[in-house]
Amino acid sequence: MSSQKFFEISGEKTVPVEFDQQKISLTLHRSDDDSVYVDIKGPPGQSADSVAFSKKMIIDPASDDMSWLKSGTDVTINGATNATAKDNIFGKTKQVRIESRILEEELQQAIENGERNIKIDAHGQHGIGGRLHRAGDEKVYILIEGHPGQRTGSMGFPNTRIEIMGPASDDVGWLNAGAEIIIHGNAANGAANAMAQGKIFIDGNIGARGMTMTKSNPRFDPPELWILGTAGDYFAEFMAGGVAIICGHEGQNPENVIGYRPTVGMVGGKIFFRGPINGFSTADAKQIPVSDTDWKWLSDNMVLFLENINKPELLSTLTKRSEWQLLTALSPQEKTIDTRRSMASFRQGVWDAELGTGGLIGELTDIDMSPVPVIATGKLRRFVPVWENNMYLAPCQAACPSGIPVQQRWGLMREDKTEQALEIALDYTPFPATICGYLCPNLCMDSCTKHADILVPIDVTVLGKKSIDIDAKANVPPESGKKIAVIGGGPAGISVAWQLRKQGHTAVIYDRAEKLGGKIESVIPNSRIPKDVFKKELERAASVIPHVHLKENLTAAEFEKIASDFDFTVISIGAQKPVVPPFPGNEKLVPALDFLFKAKAGSIKPGKRVVIIGAGNVGCDVATEAHRLGADDITLIDIQEPASFGLERDEAERAGAKFLWPKFTKEITDDGVVLTDGELLPADTVVISIGDRPDLDFIPEGVSIDRGFVSVNAAYQTTIPNIFAIGDVVRPGLLTNAIGAGRKAATTIIEVLSGKRPLEDTSPVFSDGKPAIDKSRVSLAYFDPRIIESNTLGDCASQCSSCGKCRDCGICVSACPQAAISRIEVADDAGYEYTVNDDLCIGCGFCAGACPCGIWDIVQNSAF
Amino acid sequence: MQADRPITPSTLCIKDLPWQVLWNKEKCALCGRCASVCPVRALELGVFRKRTINTALNLETPSSNLYSIFHGVRQKTEPQHACVGCGMCTLVCPNDAILPERSDEADKLRYHSNAGGLPRTRGGRRNVKDGILDRIKFVRISMLTDPALDAGRHEFELRTLLGRVLPPEENLKFQRENGWIPPVREIYPLVIGSMSFGALSPPMWEGLQMGVAYLNEEMNMPVRMCTGEGGCPPRLMRSRFIKYVILQIASGYFGWDEMIHAIPHMKEVPCAIEIKYGQGAKPGDGGLLMWHKVNKLIAAIRGVPVGVSLPSPPTHQTKYSIEEAVAKMIQSMSMAWGFQAPVYPKISASSTSLAVLNNLTRNPYAAGLAIDGEDGGTGAAYNVSMDHMGHPIASNVRDCYLNLVKIGKQNEIPLFAGGGVGKNGNLAANAAALIMLGASGIQIGKYIMQAAAGCLGSEGDRCNICNIGLCPKGITSQDPRLFKRLSAENVAERVVDAYLSFDIELKKIVAPLGRSTSLPIGMSDALAIDDKHAADRLDIKYVV
Repeated sequence: MSSQKFFEISGEKTVPVEFDQQKISLTLHRSDDDSVYVDIKGPPGQSADSVAFSKKMIIDPASDDMSWLKSGTDVTINGATNATAKDNIFGKTKQVRIESRILEEELQQAIENGERNIKIDAHGQHGIGGRLHRAGDEKVYILIEGHPGQRTGSMGFPNTRIEIMGPASDDVGWLNAGAEIIIHGNAANGAANAMAQGKIFIDGNIGARGMTMTKSNPRFDPPELWILGTAGDYFAEFMAGGVAIICGHEGQNPENVIGYRPTVGMVGGKIFFRGPINGFSTADAKQIPVSDTDWKWLSDNMVLFLENINKPELLSTLTKRSEWQLLTALSPQEKTIDTRRSMASFRQGVWDAELGTGGLIGELTDIDMSPVPVIATGKLRRFVPVWENNMYLAPCQAACPSGIPVQQRWGLMREDKTEQALEIALDYTPFPATICGYLCPNLCMDSCTKHADILVPIDVTVLGKKSIDIDAKANVPPESGKKIAVIGGGPAGISVAWQLRKQGHTAVIYDRAEKLGGKIESVIPNSRIPKDVFKKELERAASVIPHVHLKENLTAAEFEKIASDFDFTVISIGAQKPVVPPFPGNEKLVPALDFLFKAKAGSIKPGKRVVIIGAGNVGCDVATEAHRLGADDITLIDIQEPASFGLERDEAERAGAKFLWPKFTKEITDDGVVLTDGELLPADTVVISIGDRPDLDFIPEGVSIDRGFVSVNAAYQTTIPNIFAIGDVVRPGLLTNAIGAGRKAATTIIEVLSGKRPLEDTSPVFSDGKPAIDKSRVSLAYFDPRIIESNTLGDCASQCSSCGKCRDCGICVSACPQAAISRIEVADDAGYEYTVNDDLCIGCGFCAGACPCGIWDIVQNSAF
Repeated sequence: MQADRPITPSTLCIKDLPWQVLWNKEKCALCGRCASVCPVRALELGVFRKRTINTALNLETPSSNLYSIFHGVRQKTEPQHACVGCGMCTLVCPNDAILPERSDEADKLRYHSNAGGLPRTRGGRRNVKDGILDRIKFVRISMLTDPALDAGRHEFELRTLLGRVLPPEENLKFQRENGWIPPVREIYPLVIGSMSFGALSPPMWEGLQMGVAYLNEEMNMPVRMCTGEGGCPPRLMRSRFIKYVILQIASGYFGWDEMIHAIPHMKEVPCAIEIKYGQGAKPGDGGLLMWHKVNKLIAAIRGVPVGVSLPSPPTHQTKYSIEEAVAKMIQSMSMAWGFQAPVYPKISASSTSLAVLNNLTRNPYAAGLAIDGEDGGTGAAYNVSMDHMGHPIASNVRDCYLNLVKIGKQNEIPLFAGGGVGKNGNLAANAAALIMLGASGIQIGKYIMQAAAGCLGSEGDRCNICNIGLCPKGITSQDPRLFKRLSAENVAERVVDAYLSFDIELKKIVAPLGRSTSLPIGMSDALAIDDKHAADRLDIKYVV
């Protein structure tokens, strides 16, 4: 090196201090080596505005236009930095650092001039040694003495080799594109920042942010940064390529050779290091073993490094393979791998370790906290299906005051058990044909579920009418010896006696009429029911109930005797005492029941004009009968909108009866009915039909009476527990109410007699006391809405929606998406049931949705 | 409805409901999963009768009428089965055949969800979508000044102080005279706000706590979580993790006996004690845990019988004045841990917030003030409270901060702001805005439920059935069949993810302000809004 011949450039010039802004005279001389020197003569003078001497410091007379350079030219020395002085003329000079720009210009000019070995006495000039492309492929060697400024070798070219004979300032090798830079000392911050090619050899330590933003371009060899000592903080931030080698030899920070927080944002390259470190950014880099290839490269190039820094003697010290470690960037794929501790490991190793098994609440609960699938089966289902066959009453049965299992009968029909379907009725009523077939307003049909989809209800009268021929005698058991007196042989009395006898007890009916049958027999118009239908059913009833005492008008004493002689007494005398308001002329009124009784018996002939006070169903019957008997001007009046309905109303209207309300009667005269507003309704016959009260003269005092009717509890017991009361004597009602009351009273008596309940227990306990089914459970879409009439038993049966009673259609089996439902044979009356495999079922409730009969329900699963 | 029934004023059809379930017959496989998963059982298998009238083109062939049956998914219309729009059906549908869609008009159900004269109650949040926080911009972006920091490269220590910070001279004097100085905690500025054990399911609550512990012990982030007023499991009380926990005492005092019994066994002092006086979602109301959710476990932790509703009174019943409430409660709670835990009240944002704050400034034991704005969430409240009561957090916290500035105590008594922070997902931006308006820290609830557990609720009245224990994600349910859908570990992982990403976003906002170690509390010159009135009200820049 010392033997080389250098073109020297100094970063410092000696200038006369007085030159500043002075007018002087210059004399140009050519020296031996053809450089031009400037002789400065003359005393300082006033300022001149001639040529600004700023073009060049060193002038090449061979090539430059020298025409302006004449001895004695006046020049302004601008800031005293642009002059070159050969001699110190005035004896007063100072050393002045030249601008980086000037030094750069000198250096570039020297290269331009063919200089390839250039020694620079640097005085803090920046960027020395970069951009020396004018030398082309020829090697340029820049020797820097003194103190180079920042960015030595920045934008260095591959032809350039820079050797700094002391420490380097910041950013040495910045954006280095190929220069080789040797630093015989430490480098400050930012060494090799953004270097893409070239090599930097540092015989010392570096400051912060070394090897940051480095690149590696596939067209060139990757850049290298060799550090004999240690690196400062934030090393290799955003390093994208190249190799850094930190030898850790007698470094500034032997505890941590790579500095604080290295490799943040590192995406490429390698870092060999020797010595301890205190972590690196594991989010960006990883430590890998030094491979044989890596080691060969490192040890081979170590020779070169040490040669460059003139310390070959360290080779053996720095080539102990076991001392070297290697960092490399994580690949983008590796970065996506979460390097955090897994939560499972944290939970086990930290959380549960501190809290105990089961975590926060392990000691408070034994619920297994393991996750469940969102669609769960078995006990994890929130809802489960239940097959509720026969659990609810069909609406028809629930609505029937007699409690007749209407839908069960249609079900039996569907099973071709017609006999049984018909016979069942007699378990509930002695008059299935009379009442269900003709006289009942058929509440069962009113409540039929099929109305919900505007479908025609199942016509129960078809079934009722067919019941006429059933034989009831066959199953009557022998008498038990228990005796029950039934006072009144109307529908209620016959019903209770029928039920009691069928259960083996003796029922004795007392009635003051000539015939059994009460109102049906005596007052209901023949137009409503063929005569022989009731006759036949009455005969059937009488055949079961042999003990009937007619024309018995009981006194109080006689009743008391009966009540004490018999185990139970049932009062079923009905209500025949007309209610007659005390308006004038009320003695002219014909009570409705009298009228109907006489009409049916053919012993009354009403006038042409009939006014009926009270427009209920009895009033309607009066109107119909009056019409049959010749009346042609029939008016029914009421104080409010008439409550009449059904066939009675229809027939009265057919008879031309007028309904007027509100009309308030003032008096009855021979001309008719005078209203409170003075209007006269002309009438030949005026019938009063605003209700009847029972005749209770013979009733013992212990039986409580309320507003003219006998008070009973829900089991039809009066206040004397072994005396019951049913039918209109309790409250006015339909025939079917009377029948039902008879059956319920009988059931109570039978249960008391059999010891199932104490006599004093007044709560209603009836075996068919199930709730009615929620109609919305039944799917009516399965029925044809254009079937508007069903005349045969078979048609009726097939159109019945079988509410609450499985019809064994198997739709649920098909509808279950999990194949969880199956039909199994069981040993009960039905012979089958549908079951759910809990391990398959997901609790969707599709079975409930699809079931035509509303058998399936979906209910909350039991507590977990 | 059934054809034979009269309509009633409250008879509703699907169109009248808030959500219509769009069902695609073509795609549906009738697998039953939608009906199985629906939390309110809004779906059932329907049987449909289809009619075809067959007529020939030339009218010569006799026409005929043909019925057929098909089965499909039917939406129920009864109010208790009205679709809540949670979308679980869509989630589980293998064929993408089902989707709840929000009604295009105000639903009619809202006029009828008051059967028996009881107005609607629900869980969730205010059904108002936007808020001022989302409109605040950060306009101070320093590229060459301040200096600019690199959020990705520079190191940040985003911490805030919870506790009373006395000025140095006062601190020294205080210590000299009292032998005590107020405890101060250096914590992460984003706190998981109070949600009780009971309001939340066991895995949700444990997952949040576990995530918080992980952030502290694995990620070196001193995140804190408040218990809510449902007590605190004894194991947590006795563990070292309690230092990450802010214990809440509220007017119901649930679970405090168990917590008191745990005190002798505690190895760490809790981070702080929050005294709840109010909640942003339902100002003027106390907590309300419906009986559906009070099972054996919850009852044990709260010290109450199983299966009863647990309303908390709106106020602490033995505190009759603000002075008494503040002095008595703060002193009592300070005593419990030997004056080593900061104690501060939480109130719902209100036009009376300043009065509370001014009182606190005069009490050196008061460690801070948490203010919960109108957009806060809750497990159960009256709809009217949620939708119409309360004060927006931004102007409230701003007023309080500027008042502190006026009296020179802005660095002494930290304000914690909550209520709708991140309601539209912009957590870091909302939080940073509140911090620059003057909050020292932020409390979040709904956001973490959505981020950490996939809560389906929204300001569009989606789901919001936290109150009845039917949370389809298992977040707010106490039914094991529902809460076992959630794993505490998964929640904890999501808490960690949410916090780490929040941290990066917050750095992105504060780095250009040159802040890396101290939060820009009250640095409102960085804020702007494109609404002149709002700008004037908040005393920030107006930009267009």
